[in-house]
Amino acid sequence: MNLLELERLQVSIGPVQAVRDVSLSLAPGECRALVGESGCGKSVTAMSLLNLMPAAAKTNALRWDFAGRDMRQLSERDWRQLRGNEIAMIFQNPMTALDPTQTIGSQIAEPLRIHKGLSKREALNKAIALLERLAIANPAQRAGQYPFEFSGGMLQRAMIAMAVVCEPQLLIADEPTTALDVTVQAEVLSILRELRESSGTAMLFITHDLGVVAEIADSVSVMYAGQTVETGSLIDVFSHEAHPYTQALKRAVPDMANPQPLQAIGGTPPDLRHPPTGCGFAARCAERMAICDQLPPNFACKSRAEHYSRCWLWHPEHPARWREAEQ
Amino acid sequence: MLKFIAKRLLSGAITIWFIATATFFAMHAVPGDPLTQEKAMSPAVRSQLEARYGLDKPLIEQYQLFLNNMLHGDFGISFTQENRKVNDIIREHFPISAILGITAVLIALVGGVSAGTVAAYYRNRWPDRMVMVAVIAAISVPGFVIAGLAQLTIVAMNNAAGKTLLPVAGWGGVNHIWVPALVLGLGTMAYLSRIMRASMLEVLSADFNMAAKAKGVHGWRLFWHHQLRNAVLPVVTELGPTIAGVTTGGFVVELIFAIPGLGRYFVQAVQQLDYTVIMGTTVFYGAFLVLVVVVVDISYGLIDPRIRLHSGGGGR
Repeated sequence: MNLLELERLQVSIGPVQAVRDVSLSLAPGECRALVGESGCGKSVTAMSLLNLMPAAAKTNALRWDFAGRDMRQLSERDWRQLRGNEIAMIFQNPMTALDPTQTIGSQIAEPLRIHKGLSKREALNKAIALLERLAIANPAQRAGQYPFEFSGGMLQRAMIAMAVVCEPQLLIADEPTTALDVTVQAEVLSILRELRESSGTAMLFITHDLGVVAEIADSVSVMYAGQTVETGSLIDVFSHEAHPYTQALKRAVPDMANPQPLQAIGGTPPDLRHPPTGCGFAARCAERMAICDQLPPNFACKSRAEHYSRCWLWHPEHPARWREAEQ
Repeated sequence: MLKFIAKRLLSGAITIWFIATATFFAMHAVPGDPLTQEKAMSPAVRSQLEARYGLDKPLIEQYQLFLNNMLHGDFGISFTQENRKVNDIIREHFPISAILGITAVLIALVGGVSAGTVAAYYRNRWPDRMVMVAVIAAISVPGFVIAGLAQLTIVAMNNAAGKTLLPVAGWGGVNHIWVPALVLGLGTMAYLSRIMRASMLEVLSADFNMAAKAKGVHGWRLFWHHQLRNAVLPVVTELGPTIAGVTTGGFVVELIFAIPGLGRYFVQAVQQLDYTVIMGTTVFYGAFLVLVVVVVDISYGLIDPRIRLHSGGGGR
């Protein structure tokens, strides 16, 4: 049974339909990458998975199960017990996501105090042990320091420690390497990979960096304009990319083995206050057909199992049929 | 930390010297002197008095004498209040002003932080609007008007109750403190609420607030450990100058509520050009404020670890 089953998640904030149709599933221990450009709704999806959207946001889902529970039925009280305990989150910028007035140690120990009922001393000792595991030298002394005394890479490790200290079943990492420089990025990735292998935590890894995806993910979901447009295993999505958006994304990434001029994706994403009636990507798509502007495509199965693409080209009835209808 | 405090105290001493010097020369530049009165004085009496008070000496010599005495903590005797020592005036009346001032600052601090927090939590809803209207009223209506209104309210209240619930003026019991302290602290409270509202709004939308919630932190723990501690920093910064405002505002409130504080003597002394009292109270207030600002700076360091380690030079 899957750990997380999310079908047709919709989140609107005032007039903006930030998330229009996101479906995700995660098996225990799986690492799924959620890929897409800025503003496509990745972070809103992440915050919604913790029910941390502002009160003004309206959230809706056809199905939303986590560890056998229907998440749509949870009270705020249930959510509080879940956050940081069963589902935890790593934030993008460790420089701003740690409280500047609290010591690193007490911030890492805090979830243990809240969820596991440990004493101050016990919780701090566990935090120190975790820092040591994450290769921070002098962990006991470091735990007594404040965020401004840490470097960016160390801060992100502290942030990771804060998220995994209660051994959650699901770890949401919202662009955990974006704010870091490249050498530190590699270090943080290897720590996350190690943690996954040792603890079996499932991970939803949000990023716009395809290189990072290739290094860490088992499966990939591609998002565009508030929708998941392609989903499948890492091999499926990277070597047999089916959606024109995914194809365009890949052409925009440099390939050292086979150097070619990079191609930017022309145009801009649609305005999510007035999303198009048809396919969200139609306006920028090279293979646009008449139907693309009229009807939104659904997830159609491509030949390979568990590889879905939200595109009329992959509709079970042959795409040529739509081209004919145009003439 | 010790080095930091020593540095602050040294710069404070320089500030006090500057205040003393500026006041001294400003006093002597003002036309007239404490011996000038409505009734003309015979030259003989006058020169005798001048000799007694040292006014016959050259200005520089007077200045040296004044500085020297000040270093020994002696501000001399009053010109107008028969042989009363300035030190005694301060000793007797300053505690009254201090109690009033401290109560006012505490009321302003607690009230301002609470009102600002409520306003931020209910941003753009009715509690926020109410707080903001009250803030504008409290900042724009001068203290002496509010003092008068407060006294009228007390009178009406006492009449309605048929007995004295609260005294209208005077000094002596605990009940004498609350109303004048509230009046004195009201403007500051309003000012602090605005700062608190802005900084709390910033904290509420900060990443670390979201990250704390994502850990499952909620309720009082979230407020106390993460929100208040960060949001209160700008308020604490304002506290030093604010205390200066409360002290000067105290002069008026003391007069209206007939409180025998130091402020009354200061105003009186200025009117009568009572050199020694003016110098004494000014330097004393100056020293007091410098001390307060240093204390505020130190407490700021206790709340914000960044300040503590950077300027303290005592980093690990």
